[in-house]
Amino acid sequence: MTDALQDYLVGASLREPEVLQRLRRETRTLDGPSGMQISPEQGQFMALLARLIGARRVLEIGTFTGYSALAVALALPSDGIIVACDINEEWTGIARRYWADAGVAGRIDLRLAPALETLAALDSAGEAGRFDMAFIDADKPNYPAYYEHCLNLVRPGGLILVDNVLWGGAVADPTRTDPSTEALRALNQTMRDDSRIDFSLVPIGDGLSLARRREG
Amino acid sequence: MTTSSMFLPEHLYRYMIDVSVQEAEPLGRLRAETAALDQAHYQIAPEEGQLLTFIIEMIDARRGLDIGTFTGYSALVAALAMGPAGLVTTLDVSDAFTDIARRSWQAAGVADRIMLELGPAIDSLDRLVSRGQTGVYDFAFIDADKEAYKAYYDRAMVLVRPGGVIAIDNTLWRGRVADPADRRPKTEAMRAFNAMVHADRRVTPVLVPMGDGVTLARKRG
Repeated sequence: MTDALQDYLVGASLREPEVLQRLRRETRTLDGPSGMQISPEQGQFMALLARLIGARRVLEIGTFTGYSALAVALALPSDGIIVACDINEEWTGIARRYWADAGVAGRIDLRLAPALETLAALDSAGEAGRFDMAFIDADKPNYPAYYEHCLNLVRPGGLILVDNVLWGGAVADPTRTDPSTEALRALNQTMRDDSRIDFSLVPIGDGLSLARRREG
Repeated sequence: MTTSSMFLPEHLYRYMIDVSVQEAEPLGRLRAETAALDQAHYQIAPEEGQLLTFIIEMIDARRGLDIGTFTGYSALVAALAMGPAGLVTTLDVSDAFTDIARRSWQAAGVADRIMLELGPAIDSLDRLVSRGQTGVYDFAFIDADKEAYKAYYDRAMVLVRPGGVIAIDNTLWRGRVADPADRRPKTEAMRAFNAMVHADRRVTPVLVPMGDGVTLARKRG
């Protein structure tokens, strides 16, 4: 997509709440990792999906500075809850400030621990099938494992959203064989052939896969 | 109205299709038959059909409205996604194109789930409103005369229930909407339409850069 068309798309369709704009500006001042934040149009799309299924319980793997959790939290009913997994105190410290500013801190349960541990703990606590939606946006080599956990934790009819599935185009370049690219390629093929889900890959942001857990 | 997602580089587009698109057999047959027509580009891309399928299943839609039938691909997408309990009303003016549509629906075994209304779509929509179909549709898809999009949208807003979805095709119009020098009537109409939806507080919209651009708007409850 050309820059001019991307600018048009954002200008003609983005409705970004002021608190999200501020969070995006602060995240941009961080050294290095600001590219880990989702694009605002992707946040808007995820919020729309949450509304469309009437989501109340959401699982997020990879919180960073909290943009996606905040975008989705604003679309949840007041008794909605997001369980957010991350390991970084500094970045999630920024997230907590903005969640409080936006008045949704009570809707977000941040678990600072390796996500695979949190996911296993949720399963042991009887949370299987109790989430309406999950969002995967963390370390890519663990994506296949996160996906399997999410399939267990979301209810039939619930959604799993997977970020960065086009990985800047690297997935389509056979010379790229680093672990992140390989893991994304493997997960993309798994999802294509997975009869447990309905599937759509949307070329928004860096590529967002939508999976809906089928009944039964 | 375009047969591929034109805003990705070709090799990445091919990868995306390879790992994501599974076109149902009746849809593949209809695509092959439509490809022989000069107007084949009116047909939506298979990945867009799959996204619409996903949304229809996700909201468990039972009543669909399809504005602009052409050879019947989007109506067939909706009928297949809704299953036996679904009912699709589809509107077009062309006998020739909708004959192909009817045959494909029959071959797919869903002809009894699709009602085709031949005639100007605005008249048909007004008739649906006067028949008391306000708020009965879960899903509407707009893909017809670009200069009439606002008229279709206004009527779809009446016919779709709160919480339902209006999907609108071609909203990036081959990228021409982003070129200020392009003042052709259809480009101007699409630009004005996008600005109108953006400002419409009755909906939660998102413009998805898939196919030729597809806007999904949820009517607020």
